[in-house]
Parts: sequence; C-alpha cells; structure tokens
Amino acid sequence: MNATTCYFVSAMADENTEIARGLRRRDPDLLDRLIEKYQHRLLRYLVSLTGRRELAEDFFQETWIRVLERGRQYDGRHEFSTWLFTIARNLVIDHLRRKQPASLDTLADDDSTPFDLPATGQPSAFDATVQREQNEKISAGMQQIATEYRETLVLRFQEGMSLEEIARVTGAPLGTVKSRIYRGLSALEPWVKGARL
Amino acid sequence: MKPDLMNSDSHEPARRMIALSGPEGVSGGRPSPAEESWLAAHLDSCPPCRDFAENSREAVRALRGIPISAGASLVATTQLRVRQRALQLQRRQERLWVICVCCAAVTLCTAVTTVVLWRGFAWLGERWLSAQWMSQAQFSEPFWQVAFVVFSLMPAVLAGILLLARGTSLADHHGSYQD
Repeated sequence: MNATTCYFVSAMADENTEIARGLRRRDPDLLDRLIEKYQHRLLRYLVSLTGRRELAEDFFQETWIRVLERGRQYDGRHEFSTWLFTIARNLVIDHLRRKQPASLDTLADDDSTPFDLPATGQPSAFDATVQREQNEKISAGMQQIATEYRETLVLRFQEGMSLEEIARVTGAPLGTVKSRIYRGLSALEPWVKGARL
Repeated sequence: MKPDLMNSDSHEPARRMIALSGPEGVSGGRPSPAEESWLAAHLDSCPPCRDFAENSREAVRALRGIPISAGASLVATTQLRVRQRALQLQRRQERLWVICVCCAAVTLCTAVTTVVLWRGFAWLGERWLSAQWMSQAQFSEPFWQVAFVVFSLMPAVLAGILLLARGTSLADHHGSYQD
C-alpha cells in the first residue's frame, strides 16, 4: 500500500469514526449532512428494491428515522453507506413481512411499472433521445429480472460497491453475490439486445 | 486450470469472468494475466460470448446512466422529520434521566430511613399501642409491622395511582399516549 492509498484509507476511517460519534450523540446537523450526501444513492437503491418511486420515497424517510434511532449500533469500522443500505434493505424486508411472509421476490412481481425516469431536461438532440430510449428499455428490463439480481446490479454498477460490501449489505455469501452479478447481466441481456435494435 | 478455449463448458466460465472482471473492469477481483489472455483468446473465437461482453458493457453503461435523483422537497421533509424525531428522543432521554435520578434518590432515602422507621414503629407498637389500648389483642407486633409496610408503600401507591390517572386522561385527550 503506497502513501497516497494509506492517506485515503486513513481519511475514510476517520470520517467513519466521526460519523459514528455523531450518530451516538444523535447530532441533527450531522444527519442533515448525511441525508444530503447520500440522498441520490439511497433513493436509487430503494427504487431498485421496490420498483416504485413513491414507495421508495416513504422508505427513504423511514430509513433516516431508523438511522437516527439506531445510530449507536454503527461502530464506524465499515463504510457508512454499507450500514445505511443494510438498514434500508431490512426496512423493506420488514415491510414485506408485515404485508405477507415473503422475500424480496414479491416486489419483483408486484408491479410492472418500470423505473420512474424523470425527464432529462436536455435539448432533444438525436443522440440524447436514442440514449434515453435505450436506458428506458434497459430500465424496463431491470424491472423484469429477479429482485436479488436487480439489487446486486444496482449496488455494483450504480453505487460502485465492492463485492465484499454487497455481501455485507445483502447478507449473502461472496460466491452468491458473484453469481447474482453474472446471472443478473445474463437475465438483462434480452433487453439490452432489444434496446440496440 | 482453465477449460479449453471452445469446449462446451468454457462459455460459462468466460461469461462469469466477463461479468466479474470484464474488459471494462466492471467488477472486483481482477483476473490474473493468464486468465485475461485465456479470456481474450476465447472471445476472439466465440461470437456469442463476444456479444455477451458487448451487451454487459451496454447494460452497465445504461445502469450508470439512469438518472434517479431525490427531489429537494423529499430531502427537506426528511430532514424535518429526523429533527422532530431527534427532539422527541432527546425529551424522552431527559425524562428517563430524571426518573433514574429520582429512583436513585428514593432508594438511598429508603435505605437510610428504613432502619429509623422500623425502630420507630417498633417503639410505637410495643410501648404505646400495646400499653394503651391493644394490650388485650395479642397482635401488637404483627400490627405495627403491617402498619410499617402500609406506611412505607403508601407514597408509592398514591404516586402510581396519580400517574395512572394522568396517563389515562392524556390518552383520552390525545387518542394515544404521547412521547
């Protein structure tokens, strides 16, 4: 490990320790900053889990309330985002259990509405339009694949998590995470082909 | 040991390798140079796996391009809710602290005064009550002991009744217990 890497690893550890300390104090200013910092990532993950933006927004708020209430459980040894996503995931699973004894699979079949894609707001350039259409088709495909695959792909490719972090968030063995990435990409292949036609 | 280049069993390992450490380096666990050269050779000679690699790249690019973002109102509402909840928890914590201090003080006072009270009741029971008007009953000792217990418990019982009544009243007014 070179000096630069050491510096960044140490800085991240310091940041995590600082967050853990603030959460123990239930510092509202720290929570405000965390909400702003992780707003897009958390919402993206929740949309990937639930497939519905309105539901994801409800879970978004509940997740931060739970972070406040259980902040003392975060020890700062791992990335805060990993802990945050684990809390969000458990909330969704708890919600499903209350509705009916089920796994995350229920959400996959719950609604066929694709990801809620906001308007890009860009000028209607041909390339941008084509790109957007392709993204929509692939997003629709994401909605059709099993939730475990979708969740793993989102954590890996949208959130940029390492395989170990994904294993920690999902509570799955590392081998299972690898399989889910492979199978998820395979399951998505027909929609990618369709989008390129 | 890697499978043969075009063996029927070689496609899945190749695709797993693409998914986990493909040409774009999309996942963790970089393959060894030997594995990389094996994969490159396999892709050269296997159009379906080449398509899979291309589709995977496209899927990853699309996933990274999905623009889902939280609105400002969602963030503001969440921050407000979190602050309100933090305030509730803080008040609850303060109340709990007061209760703990009160309990500790009561316990201390009880420990100190019990001996004195016990002796006082014993004195009253033996010297005064039995001597004056309970001498014929022959239960002076149990009597002052029961009186001692009642006297000791009465404040706690009264406080409990009052708190219960107040709690019921709050529930009637607000529909449920408030924090």
